[in-house]
Amino acid sequence: MNAGLIGTILALAAAVIFAAAASGSTPVARYGGAAWVFILMWIILMPMLAPWLRRRRMREP
Amino acid sequence: MSRSYSKPIAFGLLGSISLIGLYLGIVRVGSASWPHTVDLLVTDWYLVAAVATGFGIQMGLFTHLRQVLRQNGGVRSATAMAAGGTATSTTSMVACCLHHLAEVLPIIGLSGAAVFFTTYKVPVILFGLATNGLGIGIMLRAIRRHTRAVRTSPRPSPRVSPQGGTPMLPAIGYEVGRETLQLHISGMSCASCVSSIEGAVGNLPGVARVTVTLTAGTASVEYYPGTVTPAQIKKTIRDLGYEAAERLDGAAALDREREARQREITRQGRWMLVAWPLGFLVMLGTFQAMWILPRFVPEVLGNRLVLFALTTPIVFGPGLQFFVNSYRGLRLGVADMNLLYATGIGAAYLIAIINTFWPDAGFGGPQATFYEAAALLTAFIILGRYLEALTRGRASEAIRKLMSLQPKIARVVRDEAEIEIPADEVEVDDLVLVRPGERIPVDGVVLDGYSAVDQSMLTGESMPVEKRAGDEVIGGTMNKTGAFRFRATRVGRETALAQIIKLVEDAQASKAPIQKLADLVAGKFIFWVHVLALAVFLFWFFLGYDVFFSPQTRLMLTPYTLAGVGVFGFALLISVAVLVISCPCAVGMATPSAMMAGTGKAAEHGILFKGADAVEAASRLTAIIFDKTGTLTRGEPAVTDIVPAPGGDVAGLLGLAASAEVNSEHPLGEAIVRGARERGLAVGPPESFEAVPGRGVIARSAGRDVLLGNRKLMADRAVAIDAITGEAERLEGEGKTVMFLAVDGRPAGLIAVADTLKPNSIQAVGLLRRFGLEVAMLTGDNRRTAEAIARQLGIDQVLAEVLPQDKASEVQRLQGAGHRVAMVGDGINDAPALAQADVGMAIGSGTDIAKESGHVVLVKDDLRDVVTTIEVARATMRKVKQNLFWAFVYNAVTIPVAAGLLYTRTYLVVSPEMAAFLMAISSLTVTLNTTLLKRFVPTLRLRPEPKPAGGALAPVAGGQS
Repeated sequence: MNAGLIGTILALAAAVIFAAAASGSTPVARYGGAAWVFILMWIILMPMLAPWLRRRRMREP
Repeated sequence: MSRSYSKPIAFGLLGSISLIGLYLGIVRVGSASWPHTVDLLVTDWYLVAAVATGFGIQMGLFTHLRQVLRQNGGVRSATAMAAGGTATSTTSMVACCLHHLAEVLPIIGLSGAAVFFTTYKVPVILFGLATNGLGIGIMLRAIRRHTRAVRTSPRPSPRVSPQGGTPMLPAIGYEVGRETLQLHISGMSCASCVSSIEGAVGNLPGVARVTVTLTAGTASVEYYPGTVTPAQIKKTIRDLGYEAAERLDGAAALDREREARQREITRQGRWMLVAWPLGFLVMLGTFQAMWILPRFVPEVLGNRLVLFALTTPIVFGPGLQFFVNSYRGLRLGVADMNLLYATGIGAAYLIAIINTFWPDAGFGGPQATFYEAAALLTAFIILGRYLEALTRGRASEAIRKLMSLQPKIARVVRDEAEIEIPADEVEVDDLVLVRPGERIPVDGVVLDGYSAVDQSMLTGESMPVEKRAGDEVIGGTMNKTGAFRFRATRVGRETALAQIIKLVEDAQASKAPIQKLADLVAGKFIFWVHVLALAVFLFWFFLGYDVFFSPQTRLMLTPYTLAGVGVFGFALLISVAVLVISCPCAVGMATPSAMMAGTGKAAEHGILFKGADAVEAASRLTAIIFDKTGTLTRGEPAVTDIVPAPGGDVAGLLGLAASAEVNSEHPLGEAIVRGARERGLAVGPPESFEAVPGRGVIARSAGRDVLLGNRKLMADRAVAIDAITGEAERLEGEGKTVMFLAVDGRPAGLIAVADTLKPNSIQAVGLLRRFGLEVAMLTGDNRRTAEAIARQLGIDQVLAEVLPQDKASEVQRLQGAGHRVAMVGDGINDAPALAQADVGMAIGSGTDIAKESGHVVLVKDDLRDVVTTIEVARATMRKVKQNLFWAFVYNAVTIPVAAGLLYTRTYLVVSPEMAAFLMAISSLTVTLNTTLLKRFVPTLRLRPEPKPAGGALAPVAGGQS
């Protein structure tokens, strides 16, 4: 599995949690906020995941 | 219990107890009393226990992991994982504590939060426990993996590289040869670019080390051939959006660097022509209804659709580079400045579109379209890029100046014909002709002719130097008056100029210790800024808006009131402002730009730092040790005193002594002959001459019997010297060697010979003492001579009778006493001491720079350059500290403001364009501050040169009549 996919899944999970937590807000705030959380989470996760996966792959026989 | 587990257990317990303490503290703040607090604890004891236990386990594991890593060389990725685990664990703690606060928050008026934490109690608890478990899992995995790796290694290996198996080879007894790839990189704009490239290239399998220098625009990559190729390395850099090409030497490098810089200037200049006029129109349109603008600006310009049409070309024209580059970076797992710009511009543009086409979406409505934010943000960033491209070129001016000294054409004699050939085709032993006004193409030795040569660009000497047959000439220097022919001795990369350029390039490409800290901060900055932006967004979305938002809210320096803005729009605005304002450019530029200017300035004065670490070390010196012979003194004896017996005269005495010694090969005899000739005396050959070993000479000159030697010679020949013995003892007390002269059996006087001080030694030592440095002198000479010299110089601390091999231990002894020590020596004999010192200064290297040891090479044989070295280093480090101060202050002040720290008092929100403007100002401040270093003039340049001091240079003294 590549870093982009894992990052997307984790960021989506964060966005879903956000959307669940913001259920009392308007749809724009709820889904717009979820989108922003998804973007930021993806940006935060990618620099961690890509080198980590690359190293992991290098170690595999 | 094993001792290695006691520390993790202690830290684990401490973590658990601290957490329970934290919990109690927070809950007590909002509860009525301690009994109430304890009630809450008892009610949810199982939750607190679970969380505290989890946190304790994590703390213990983290401590254990650090121990394992420290003992076995360390794995960066595992440390990062452990840190990540602890971070998630801490998040879970906070979440759980907040859940508990749900019961007490209403007491302090935070009812919104109370509702949230009560409603979502279960997800919050699950999230906390899940992240806690995740953290523990991550750390267990890291420990297991590292322990396995260590077990498979037969002996402690060097730092295990994440790149793969190659570094394991040394552990099993093999070495793999590394190669170094030198690259020129263009398109870098700030420290995060350095971090991006170092991260991406460093992660390539087979790359052992990578060093990127922003200001020089270079990268040095050490790699294992066969595992990775130069093409792959260059492709990785290009994939990040930068241009990479192998570094060339000399003029070709200069041309390529200039072309690349020009391309960048042209590119950003072209985008400025798009961004600024359109951005200006967008700004006019936005403010159309304000002030006197309605009289000049057509109403249609304020139409939201027109603003959309004007802004879109800016975002997808000049702004597109940031989106493309950040996408490329993210694909390689790298977050850089482009990402901050892209998220900032993208978010502002997106809000504007939403408010244009869906005005009721809750982003402030149709009156808050933010088009000017997206447009001006792009325009300011492009302006910043343009200015950086301009100033970065200026920063490497020193190298460019040096390179421009290399003449392109040389006139040589081949097959008895005079021909012009490219200077880089001159070969060793070629006969080269130089006419007045021409630059000397290569290094060589003058065969015939006479001229004065201006060497100021290489050595800093202000006056032209006379050159005649036998003198050395340096390639790149300017021939002034006459014509001459010389034999080429060093060509191509061997010339002094090429060596100087390489030394300056290497120094500018190296990193000072202080820069490593700045790079670390700047490199991790982007990541943490995004974390902060997310945290700020979540805070203002879930808590801050409900609690603090006021309809009076305004955007700083814009006409917008944000009364109608919804929770999402408000939290997003603040989050974007944090992203844009958090620019690590200034932090990243602070050190390298000052180092580049400082080392360039030093090179102008003939002072060559071998690395940025040498600059930093030279600025922090507390003691300086001079080697005596050849450094403080000329290293050859000279006549210092001539004392004739009563009735005698100086010239007659010296003339007779010189005549007696003219055939002598003894250094003292040569000094007397040289002394006589320097004073214009004719020195004729003696009629007879006999050397008496260990005594002196017996000669017959001008019909007189001459004895010249020590007391033993006088005693052997029964010459009574009592009348001049007192004077002799005085001179010997000054460390001078005294020779008695007797003529026709009667004492005629005495001549004292000693090693004399170099010009400017006294002035240099005096200034160093005034700088607060402890000055010491190191010599193999006897203590009496050494102390006599030290007295003349004003040096208190004399390390005499030190054998050459013990010089380094003397330096070490001073270092042991807490001093940061510089050693000044001739670079070859003093190599171990120069290497041992914190800063080794090899003085008077002339053109043979490559052979020199030490950290600083002083081209001229002038002690005042030691003073200048310290002054330049101190000025450079002062500039570095000022730059870092401004850069850190900027971020320390602006980030909290952008995050809304002052919002509750001012109801002002930092607009994205305001953030971009502040960001540009921070970089500009650092750049302008660095350029002030160009005005630096060493103290000794400001003062006239002193006349030679009496004791040092006076040819005769003491009893001269």
